[in-house]
Amino acid sequence: MNLFVELCFSGLTKGSIYALIALGYTMVYGIIALINFAHGEIYMIGAFTALIFSLILSSWGFSGLGLIFSVMVIAGLYAAMYGYTTEKIAYKPLRSSPRLSPLISAIGLSIFLQNYVLLAQTSNDILFPDLIGQLDFLGFLEPIAHLATPTQICIVITCAVTMAVLSFIIKKTKMGLAMRAVAQNPDMARLSGVNIDRVISGTFILGSVLAALGGLLIGCSMQQINSNIGFLAGLKAFTAAVLGGIGSIPGAVLGALILGFAENFTAGYLASDYEDVVAFILLTAILIIRPEGILGQPISRKV
Amino acid sequence: MKPLLAVNGVKTFYGNIEALKGISLTAGSGEIIALLGANGAGKTTALKTIVGLTPPGEGQIIYAGGDITGKRPEDLIRKGLVLVPEGRHIFPALTVSENLMMGAFHRADKNEIASDLEYVFKLFPKLKERLNQSGGTLSGGEQQMLAISRGLMGRPKLLLLDEPSLGLAPIIIGQIFETIREINVSQKTTMILVEQNAKLALTVAGRAYIMTAGRVAMSGAAEELQNDENIRRAYLGG
Repeated sequence: MNLFVELCFSGLTKGSIYALIALGYTMVYGIIALINFAHGEIYMIGAFTALIFSLILSSWGFSGLGLIFSVMVIAGLYAAMYGYTTEKIAYKPLRSSPRLSPLISAIGLSIFLQNYVLLAQTSNDILFPDLIGQLDFLGFLEPIAHLATPTQICIVITCAVTMAVLSFIIKKTKMGLAMRAVAQNPDMARLSGVNIDRVISGTFILGSVLAALGGLLIGCSMQQINSNIGFLAGLKAFTAAVLGGIGSIPGAVLGALILGFAENFTAGYLASDYEDVVAFILLTAILIIRPEGILGQPISRKV
Repeated sequence: MKPLLAVNGVKTFYGNIEALKGISLTAGSGEIIALLGANGAGKTTALKTIVGLTPPGEGQIIYAGGDITGKRPEDLIRKGLVLVPEGRHIFPALTVSENLMMGAFHRADKNEIASDLEYVFKLFPKLKERLNQSGGTLSGGEQQMLAISRGLMGRPKLLLLDEPSLGLAPIIIGQIFETIREINVSQKTTMILVEQNAKLALTVAGRAYIMTAGRVAMSGAAEELQNDENIRRAYLGG
């Protein structure tokens, strides 16, 4: 029974982090129908930025919550800059090209970013301080630490709050309204006075900030990172987005949670070697049974 | 007095295809102009060109005293140039209220927006009942009402209406045209009306341009065109 509860919590943790990344895929897809394969790299860069600045800031005497929040803000800003710039360089010039071109550009960008961090940071695993675990006031969670560590609990709560904020932005703000309008009918959105370039940039920035938060949280949870983490995490988050229905925001969260649970139960009851296998079996299965994903709209194409 | 809109020798290309072969037309403040002609004559392209969706390859468009040739639609709506496109283009997953808010997207004058909303509900009381329903679930006639209302929420000085009667039941068409006239009378909104149904369009328009194959073939006062036997037979379907 303990194992079951433990697996549930770690599955929820993993799923929440996948969700943060998957949201970036699904939002960008919803707006410009592009699979942004470089998104996993933004998450990796977010994790490295968080690591570097947590070391710098703690050497300046920052600690506790102040340290976490400053690192969060800096990593978010950094990733936002990357997201904004990559869109301008790699995707915007190709916006009216055939759909394959920006996809290839995305893959190229992903390889570039991976290797650029590899050059700067080597291919070794680098230790990441568990900023959340260091918080003293979380001591009251100690009695249940054999089921769920304070870090895991904080990650789940942080993700839940972030998603609530995101859903507020999308449902209630003017930016969110513009995003939904552009996703449904870009020409009509322009005719209503929406500057599409700005909405696309905003979407990339929003997705990148979420990915950077995911990077910070995964660092705290795994306590080591390397320049490769973006590749597999990106692929998994993409799987989650497709599972839930790409373009659908609740779908991305649902897909990510299903994936997180499935992977952890496989690892716990079968063998951890199989968790990636199960993830991609799920992807294949959904593509065969319901290609539009669990919450996705069936795709109809005008001929 | 200078016209609100003057289109001078405008050519528009889709790739190599010349869709507009040099058209000129004017619309004076407060006028309703009808743009008539057969399918493929270039009426819709003319509207799209004026509003900036398909920028002209040649020629010049003057609006409210300024040159707007090549300007983008998202900027032109701020000057009161609004298109209600053919096929309505309601945002299907946005609610009726959100669709209306999209019409006022570029505006920040909250009080004025609220009073415009009241005006729109007076024109189309049905929309008020459907406020929280998503746009895609409305009937064709309701969608057309919503499309016109969304256009009005942009406070148009010049409203371009593309085929407002398309695919609607006769009784609804009558209602829509009644409202078009009412908007023109009470708000002094200048309009360019593209219509397949020439007879109907000429009942509300003061002047009309008849297009064939990307050119203006003929223009004149609505009454003259209506009463000319030859024109009626050649262009207006009897």
